[in-house]
Amino acid sequence: MPLLSPQDEQVLTKHLSAMEKRVEVVLFSQAIGGGESGVVAKQVLDEVARLNDKITIVEKNFILDLDDRAKYGIDKSPAIVILSDGHYTRMRMFGAPTGYEFVGLVEAILIAGTGRVDLEEKTLEMLATVDKPTHIQVFSTPT
Amino acid sequence: MAFTSEHITSSAIEATEFMDLSRRFRVTGVPKTVVNDTIEIMGALPEDMFVRAALQMQPEDHDGEEDRAL
Repeated sequence: MPLLSPQDEQVLTKHLSAMEKRVEVVLFSQAIGGGESGVVAKQVLDEVARLNDKITIVEKNFILDLDDRAKYGIDKSPAIVILSDGHYTRMRMFGAPTGYEFVGLVEAILIAGTGRVDLEEKTLEMLATVDKPTHIQVFSTPT
Repeated sequence: MAFTSEHITSSAIEATEFMDLSRRFRVTGVPKTVVNDTIEIMGALPEDMFVRAALQMQPEDHDGEEDRAL
């Protein structure tokens, strides 16, 4: 059974039509001991990718693909990494992207696909001064 | 923020799926933001306040009152 309704698909398709760049969504999951959330994550990503041909899903095995894990600093699964025209965007998600997290997934795909962020000028000025590795973790729940 | 600055990496974490991590950072409500494992920001803040808190930048000083108070 699809997770997205026909209405959801219609709205999303319209939003995603602004994309100009190729977006690869890399999913790290595991068949053994991975629970159901990896399966849900895959279904969500497949349904979104169907809406725009610039979106590609790349599946990685959390247990076996250690080089890829190291490349993106993936230490738990399921994990999603967003690439824009093949470049790592440093935007990652952990857990199934449902509920509130789904909004974050779509926003991340749109940022990667348009190359544009919706931030205030003052914010951009502050971000330009960052010169040390900074890891921002945002915890949320599906509801 | 991560897309804009090459020094920033962002992780959106589904708190209920990673309980050990949520316990480690005392996630009792969401959204909760943790920067470099040390700075903790509870709730959703206006953009300017969030960025200043996350990057440990001083609040904008409109009239110098804050400096005097310190």
